[in-house]
Amino acid sequence: MSGKKAGARDGRNGWSSRSVGSKFQHGIFYFLIRFGGRRGAYGLLYLVAAWYATFSKVARERCRPYLTRRFGDRGLTMRWRERYGLIVSLGKALIDRAVVGILGPESMTVEFTGGEELLAIKNEGKGLIVMMSHVGLWQAAMSALGNLESPVHMLMRREDGDIDRHYYEHAGIERPYNLIEPGGFLGGAVEMVDVLKRGEILSVMGDRVLGEESNTVTVDFLGAPAPFPVSAYRLAASTGAPIAVVFSRKTGPDSYKLELAEVIRVTGVKGRGAEIFKPFLLRYVDALEGYARKYPFQFFNFFQMWKN
Amino acid sequence: MDTKTKLKQVLIDELNLEDLTPADIKDDDQLFGEGLGLDSLDAVELVVQIQKHFGVEIKDMEEGREAFASIATLAAYIEEKSG
Repeated sequence: MSGKKAGARDGRNGWSSRSVGSKFQHGIFYFLIRFGGRRGAYGLLYLVAAWYATFSKVARERCRPYLTRRFGDRGLTMRWRERYGLIVSLGKALIDRAVVGILGPESMTVEFTGGEELLAIKNEGKGLIVMMSHVGLWQAAMSALGNLESPVHMLMRREDGDIDRHYYEHAGIERPYNLIEPGGFLGGAVEMVDVLKRGEILSVMGDRVLGEESNTVTVDFLGAPAPFPVSAYRLAASTGAPIAVVFSRKTGPDSYKLELAEVIRVTGVKGRGAEIFKPFLLRYVDALEGYARKYPFQFFNFFQMWKN
Repeated sequence: MDTKTKLKQVLIDELNLEDLTPADIKDDDQLFGEGLGLDSLDAVELVVQIQKHFGVEIKDMEEGREAFASIATLAAYIEEKSG
């Protein structure tokens, strides 16, 4: 099992997004994809997922917060089934990501509803903040952003020593987007403003705290208080850039769908502090909770999101 | 009004530092952390407002790191770029 990206090594409880699999274990999957295709890798995944769901303490701990919030307290058997289902779904997403890099982009189809609306918003010339989440396969969303004919920048931290590879690394091509390091000076604020002033696209994760805890607002998510980052809303307010909330989900063995769930325009904010962005944050959180309720096994935020 | 005083007024007005006047802010006060206590959320607004009020763009992170050290360094940066 691999933790998802954009991790926060300095996050709560010393959580790390680094993959729990070894380089050798990843290599076996890459070998199977190359010589057995997606189905070959999926076959092994079912066995590996069963092992992790049963014996891995790390997997249990990473799955527990979300499964408990989403499904409530369960008996051992039901909780095992949910954990297994979640690990299999994550594994498929990671395999699909590798498949695109190893076997080529034609091995996966991505349908995007709302693409024309997104293009129109981008063409307003104020830049565009694309807010993604740890659901489905966010790399699929990144591939669709390429159709907007504008440079894409992503606020993302990659942990040292993580051996989980991105699709472009498999394909041996240049990374199709520029990375902005959230641990940099002022959380990358100077770079992000510059990107939006140029009318380009900035992609951020809306569901995980990467930088200063003070730049968060706590709201209820799946029935319990959880802090969410608000830097993107500050950027939107200062630059006039709209926020497009985009979710991806797996719809078939080799297909994904992207949906433009919300367009948030942050206007009329006055005062100081993170709380002034709460009304805008709530629109995102409501959309994310709706997604988690509708597609519970495509929600892959293994970060301890909740305060308790 | 000199650049430092104008900068202090911009900070107060645009970052809603309601209880302060330009006289309360020392030239060598740090902008972030101790001193004025601004954070990275404020930095976003500050970059935008400096362009709006002084016509100076801060694009480079390393330049920004030096410029954002204090009121005095930021005023010097603005004067250098706008001069």
